[in-house]
Amino acid sequence: MRSEKLKGHLDLLLLSVLSRGPGHGYEVITRLRDRSDGAFELPEGTVYPALHRLEEAGLLASAWAAVAGRRRRIYRLTPAGEAALAEQAEQWREFSGSVTRVLGMPPAVARPRMAVPEVTA
Amino acid sequence: MSRRPPDAPADAVEAYLDRLLVTLNGTPRQIRYTLAEVEAHLRDAVAEGVAAGLPEPAAQAQAVARMGPVDGVAGRVPALGRPSLALARRLVLTAALVGGAGFAAVGGAGLIARFLASVKGNEFMTAPWPPGAYTRADCARWLAGDPGTHSCVTAMLYDHVGDFLLEATAAGLLGVLALAAYLALRQRWRDRATLAALPAGTAQALGAVLAGVAAVACLGAAIDNEMIQHGIGAGEAWSLGTAAAVTAALFALALRRALRAGPPGRAGRAGGAALG
Repeated sequence: MRSEKLKGHLDLLLLSVLSRGPGHGYEVITRLRDRSDGAFELPEGTVYPALHRLEEAGLLASAWAAVAGRRRRIYRLTPAGEAALAEQAEQWREFSGSVTRVLGMPPAVARPRMAVPEVTA
Repeated sequence: MSRRPPDAPADAVEAYLDRLLVTLNGTPRQIRYTLAEVEAHLRDAVAEGVAAGLPEPAAQAQAVARMGPVDGVAGRVPALGRPSLALARRLVLTAALVGGAGFAAVGGAGLIARFLASVKGNEFMTAPWPPGAYTRADCARWLAGDPGTHSCVTAMLYDHVGDFLLEATAAGLLGVLALAAYLALRQRWRDRATLAALPAGTAQALGAVLAGVAAVACLGAAIDNEMIQHGIGAGEAWSLGTAAAVTAALFALALRRALRAGPPGRAGRAGGAALG
């Protein structure tokens, strides 16, 4: 996906990624790439102004810690960030559902990350 | 992973961090934190590339390419034709320094004029108006301002020299205020982007040229006056020309220091010196 399209939803994506647990910038990028199956490609550096902006808004908090021999700034979601994530996720569901209906497409089904073998009796 | 020496060539990560350093806006702490975050990120990405079998230079190039332009990390949209905040700040600093020094120089000319007037008299400072160029009312007003004389010409010169000294003093005070504002703003705007927005020594070069032109013009007028009117009324031009020449010399010295210090933003003290 083009980074211009992604930027409008970056805050939601970052909050969502960090809702699975605290992480530093590189981890955030890696999780974003993995969870989108590599579909979300944007200049990695653009994540930092977004993280800083979310922290200034009180949706994230950060602390420095030594991880794997390097000093890292670890971000975590605040209670305000959890509330904002829930609100933005709901807005996204409504919006994407409306767009899908207008396009006349069947609702998207989340793809499983791993194939699950069928169990036959 | 071992770090290269700071000046080692072809280290794409170090070069990227250098570019980021002079691009970031914010407080020193914000800049340090962002640099530390981005460096850790790049080192992780390089380690990942090396682990995947890339040679280190290729892994560095890939990590830097994935990070994107430094403007993206700085949270700035690269704008063409839109003056950046850093450039606007640097222009304000330049105007405050050059303008403040110029007004302060006029104030200095007032002090020189005061000394010349006490030594050589008011007639040396300014030429009297020719008869017919003033009215009886003007005369009465000048005499009222200088009760110690009954000569209209003497009172006129006293009045005109007093006006010049008063205006020079006001200009000097304005210059001091502008220079104080410059020093305060320079302390406030110490980010690398502001320091690097214009080439090193820009303000000093501009000040040296403007003051030099003013010095040549005023000293030329003073010499011309000495030759044609035998010095009558040359004092103001001498005082202004002398102050302008001193200002031009000071700017020239500051310019040399700034050029020796190197590009703004390369180092803390160098950046400060380069800005003046």
